[in-house]
Amino acid sequence: MSLPTPIYDLKQFDSVYEPSEDTFLFIDALEADLEYIHSLRPSCILEVGSGSGIVITSLARHFQTQCLFFATDINPVACLCTKQTAYLNNVVVHCTNMNLYCNFKSIFDIILFNPPYVCTEDSEIKPGINRSWAGGRDGRIIIDQFLSQLKLFLSDSGVCYMVALKENKPYEIMATMKVLGFNSCIIKERRILGEHLFVIRFIKEGNLK
Amino acid sequence: MKLITHNMLTSKCMKGVTVGYPLKIQAVDVKTSEVDFNPEFISRLIPKVDWNVLCEAAESVGFLDDLPRELIENYENDVDFLKKAHRVLLEVDIINGELVCPETGRKFPINNGIPNMLLNEDEV
Repeated sequence: MSLPTPIYDLKQFDSVYEPSEDTFLFIDALEADLEYIHSLRPSCILEVGSGSGIVITSLARHFQTQCLFFATDINPVACLCTKQTAYLNNVVVHCTNMNLYCNFKSIFDIILFNPPYVCTEDSEIKPGINRSWAGGRDGRIIIDQFLSQLKLFLSDSGVCYMVALKENKPYEIMATMKVLGFNSCIIKERRILGEHLFVIRFIKEGNLK
Repeated sequence: MKLITHNMLTSKCMKGVTVGYPLKIQAVDVKTSEVDFNPEFISRLIPKVDWNVLCEAAESVGFLDDLPRELIENYENDVDFLKKAHRVLLEVDIINGELVCPETGRKFPINNGIPNMLLNEDEV
């Protein structure tokens, strides 16, 4: 099973994060975990902060009508871009402009998040393209907001995949998540251009699948 | 915005809002677009849907047609019913309009089929 890179075109969307090494690492990690994802028989998959939309679209192409795909982004231009990327690849991704997942009432079987993980001053977290990368102290401001609410939005048998940087202290994140009731493991790791990237998988404790 | 999305959205993260559900729909431009029909998937999806909210939303935009207001028994074997549910959940598309918070009246615009649920700092 594979997840080919979807077609995308960012020409009209200059405030959207261009797919880079971290994006492709994320797709590679999901591809390596596809058998597990299938075993969950997901019906609703959400990507938070979808940007260009190529990650959620790669899964949508794979699962077609067996599943629904949702995406959120705080940047309205990124929502439009995600919608276009889905369209270019003949799939549907339901996009909503919101902060993380705070406007959802429902739970999801799979949640994906490639967060703004770059260590910056907190003041760098400001509207526009900055929101796609600026992560504040230790790159953890947005990551911690996201993870602190994950339990509310993930189904009991669900799984969350998140990208992190070494500077975000992934092992500390995993220890914190243990306290919040999640088992976690690193499913992919890569060193590129001065960045040491990880993809972490979170599963609710008590879920033996 | 498809009605499945409407079925899942709330304004409860706004200051002073307790439930924020369901949001009212004020549609300006509604269209339908054909989406591949997968009866097995639709019957797996239905238990996750708030059926009353779906029917009210469909009615408010003029697409309830003859969809039953009560979930029928053994719907998983009723292709005709699943097709109607599929149409209302995934094919009716609100392109422009507003979602309205039932408690505060705060309006959230829908443009290009995308609801904008973002809040100002003083609303959080």
